Amino acid sequence: MDPNWLSVFPDRLRHLLQKLPPSVFTRLEEVRIRESRPLEVNTGGRFYFLTADGGITRDAEAAFKPDKQDSSRLLDLITNHSLYTMEEELRKGFITIPGGHRIGLAGRTVLGGGKVEHIRDISGFNIRIAREVCGAADQVLPLLLDFKQKSVLHTLILSPPQQGKTTLIRDLARQISSGTWRHPEARWPGLKVAIVDERSEIAGCRDGVPSYDVGPRTDVMDGCPKAEGMMMMIRSMSPEVMVVDEIGRPEDAEALVEALHAGVRVIATAHGADIDDIGSRPVLSKLVDSGFFQMYVTLRRSDQGLTFRLWDAKRRGIPLIPPGMKGREADA
Amino acid sequence: MLKMLGAVLVIAATTLAGWLQARQYANRPQQIRRLILALKRLETEIMYGFTPLPDALDRIGEQSGGAVGSIFHRAAQNMKPPDNRTAQEALQLALEAGWKTTAMKAVEQDIMRQFSYTLGTSDRKDQLGHIATAVRQLESEEHEAREEQNRYEKMFRSLGLLFGAFIVIILY
Repeated sequence: MDPNWLSVFPDRLRHLLQKLPPSVFTRLEEVRIRESRPLEVNTGGRFYFLTADGGITRDAEAAFKPDKQDSSRLLDLITNHSLYTMEEELRKGFITIPGGHRIGLAGRTVLGGGKVEHIRDISGFNIRIAREVCGAADQVLPLLLDFKQKSVLHTLILSPPQQGKTTLIRDLARQISSGTWRHPEARWPGLKVAIVDERSEIAGCRDGVPSYDVGPRTDVMDGCPKAEGMMMMIRSMSPEVMVVDEIGRPEDAEALVEALHAGVRVIATAHGADIDDIGSRPVLSKLVDSGFFQMYVTLRRSDQGLTFRLWDAKRRGIPLIPPGMKGREADA
Repeated sequence: MLKMLGAVLVIAATTLAGWLQARQYANRPQQIRRLILALKRLETEIMYGFTPLPDALDRIGEQSGGAVGSIFHRAAQNMKPPDNRTAQEALQLALEAGWKTTAMKAVEQDIMRQFSYTLGTSDRKDQLGHIATAVRQLESEEHEAREEQNRYEKMFRSLGLLFGAFIVIILY
């Protein structure tokens, strides 16, 4: 069966993508369409251009180039023929389609009062294919447990784009909510989890119902600005753990502090290449200096798969063996 | 006797033809009005409902009913999978397929075709502008159609009968 993201492509592009070798197709992460320039696909850090007969090449000259009709058809399909329903999305520069796949847009912006109001003449698309990887958090979760409080530690996950942050916190939310702690001594039930999903990426909600498995005790506030959503969740849904993606604005930090005082554990992600990077980011550094986060995780993806490193509240690297578990148990 | 029967048949046929033609004149302004109302509903759906086009057109098709309604239904159908046509193609195909069943003329079809080029491809303000233009043009066509109705509807109704009588007199 074809994955659901294929249905947003116009026939011509869809046929080309279907002709890709299975080894590439199943690992597709991004499909990039730029009008009258080569059609590009990305898999785990590598890129290829597509030729007109569905082969792959690195030669830009030999590649298939989508034309104006292709891009206007694509836009028509991803907006469900109704660009006017996407004004907010166009302001932000991306559209999330059913399944949590995100489509970034580039074109000419229209300004209103100095702010971006709209994008027109859209000619660049980046379709980021979201994949649910159940078990992505298996190795990390045992290290984030708070045995005293029978909960999880305040955690910040740092990585550059495209390394699997969202996949990781989606799985964390699922496992925390269902209470699979992956640790022999952790024997408390699942917790109430609240996800504030500003870009509909974590839960991939469709009509308000998550399309990914985010666990049985998880509430999702979909398409809501993070700071506001966190406050709403704290007030109304009494979460024990809050999961948010990509914090970075001053109001996000305020809401996080509010969550701390409300006794809610927070698992958040932020863009950043390394643990030392966050010192130079105004909002994040304030949070770090105040000792808010008890654990930092940095992600890196290589051909072997996802690797991660952990750092404690004082930003000292710590070993990857959970407390109370021997090395061999952790491997198993 | 046979002659008599023929004469009756001729008169019946021409009367019917005239009657049908008269009905076309009566239906045209009515259908244009329906089209205008449908577009105004679309305006509401876009402005206040943020309804995606396929759903909006389906709803409008239901409310409008008749030949006009089925055009919108068909357009909505064309947009949905498995066809997945663009809004423009979907509406144009629906117009081509359904226009023959209406009493409207090529001018109105042209207005709708023009309208299809911008359907769904811009922000709300822009969409409303295009709908308003189409509605204005249709309104002027409606006005003309009403005048034609006043002028020709009765005429054709009696002309059919008279023409039949004329043929019968000549042949008798």
